[in-house]
Amino acid sequence: MKSKNLSEKILRLIKSKGFNNIELDPVLETKYILQRSGENFKRLLFSFYDLNGKELCLRPDLTISSVLRFVQNKSNKKQKVFYSGEAFRKTYRKQDSIIKNQIGFEILGSKDKQKEDREIIETSIKILKSSGFTKAVLKIGNVELFNLLISKLDIPRRWKNRLKRYYWNASYFNELLKRLETNLDIDPVFVEIDKSRYLQMRKVKNFKEVAGRSYKEILDRFDMKINDPRRSSSGKINTKIIKEFLKVKCELKNAPKVLNNFFQKYGLNIFVGKEFFPLNKIKKKNLRVEFSASSGRDVEFYSSMIFSIEVKKGKKFKNFISGGRYDELTSSLGFRKVSAAGAAVNMSVYE
Amino acid sequence: MSKNIINIGIPSKGRLKNDTINIFKKKKLKIYSERGERDLFGYIKKSNVKIIYLHARECIEQLSLGNIDVGFSGIDLLKESEINIQNKIKVIKKYEFGKANLVLAIPDLWIDVQTLLDLDEVADEFKKKKKLLRVATKYPNLTRQFLYSKGVTQFQLVKSLGSTEVAPFTGTAEIISDITSTGATLKANNLRVLKDGEILKSQACLMISKLSLKKSGIKKIINLLGK
Repeated sequence: MKSKNLSEKILRLIKSKGFNNIELDPVLETKYILQRSGENFKRLLFSFYDLNGKELCLRPDLTISSVLRFVQNKSNKKQKVFYSGEAFRKTYRKQDSIIKNQIGFEILGSKDKQKEDREIIETSIKILKSSGFTKAVLKIGNVELFNLLISKLDIPRRWKNRLKRYYWNASYFNELLKRLETNLDIDPVFVEIDKSRYLQMRKVKNFKEVAGRSYKEILDRFDMKINDPRRSSSGKINTKIIKEFLKVKCELKNAPKVLNNFFQKYGLNIFVGKEFFPLNKIKKKNLRVEFSASSGRDVEFYSSMIFSIEVKKGKKFKNFISGGRYDELTSSLGFRKVSAAGAAVNMSVYE
Repeated sequence: MSKNIINIGIPSKGRLKNDTINIFKKKKLKIYSERGERDLFGYIKKSNVKIIYLHARECIEQLSLGNIDVGFSGIDLLKESEINIQNKIKVIKKYEFGKANLVLAIPDLWIDVQTLLDLDEVADEFKKKKKLLRVATKYPNLTRQFLYSKGVTQFQLVKSLGSTEVAPFTGTAEIISDITSTGATLKANNLRVLKDGEILKSQACLMISKLSLKKSGIKKIINLLGK
């Protein structure tokens, strides 16, 4: 009952900030989830086939449902929306519930990103003020800073793409760093064996295909790998820089200075200005505001600003609100690109 | 099924069947069948043991349901089964036969692909062409888990029931994951294993249904076969 009253209070507050309530479809096509998260997420879905053979699933997440609704309406107008409801995911841990209660709010299809980011964070702070939690920490990060760092490092293009793509998957990212350090992706013995095949394939017409790939694609990629080898000495220093960057943590107001000093130390031509931070001064008693370079790494779809608010419950800090900007989400689902920023309130923190 | 009878599932064909029967022979337990070699039932004289010949996959299913008490099958098939099935089965002993690896194999002519990192980039190329890299397999669960743990997420599984090796050349899939012991079949079909493409090492094992753990006489038979 307490939780219901609190969620009603939060919804009223979001509405008062100009967000409009929307209803989301309880089912969606499984293919949209697969396009974003791949096959492994499929095992967590409650999916089934309709009479026409189309695979559907109960919505596993409300954000995806919301952006799909926007993009399928073919509207280009800015929309401020909020929603609440249940998302359904299988779980392999007894203590986890398969029903997740979510409250979310979003700004879709607008151009002034800095302003929107600020609005999402400010609304989140208002929710925090009315939540009853007295001690909290707001962590802000920005994925673009990481991407900028990678683009300036002296490593092959394919490695830059790999590191950017797996930034969100910490354990696999660490495995990649190990390989980057030790130059494990080209085996000279294999290359020597494949050279004779390479020469034979060069003689054949380029459009010939094997298992969905043309000879030209295969040979071009082979050339690219051989001509763009990685020096193992630079692999080591680059790994060190990346690891050190991900540990950067400081007060938000000091973030530009700390980051500029870091980039200068390694001779990287990067200047960090205020544009990477939607706000730098937040006045709220008992709220610590910090910048963390690795903030929100576990969520795949964020593309620039990321934030989370953790509240003190008992002796521990627990996630209460998290959000950010996800401009690439719609295009990863196979639709047109839509500017989007939003946040989700985790009501289970009251349980 | 009678409460007093101990039902043992044995793979119904191939080397796994023969090697399993050899275990019984070594323990001086002769299996009799009333209707000859094709009979799918057997028994051991002067005992309450009944033998049922099943497909190795079926052995796992029936163990989880408690329809057979003891079974012989491959560790690959156990690990491939759903978690609720695995939770109902206990592995007693792993044997030195039935050894094979579940591996990820690609067409020989994909000379630019040596590792899973390469495969991931190729999967990305497919995505850019608005396609998904398809993986034909009889082991969808293990393959999905493995690929995802190695960072390859953009793919589609195609369930295969047999002759998986031909899938890349018939347009059913681009790559495969399959069980292999020597690699000869893969080689004969112009496929090669990725350098880091070993998904699982498998071997035959003796398993017991957790529903049968307290059945009378079960300990004796397990001790005998599991020695």
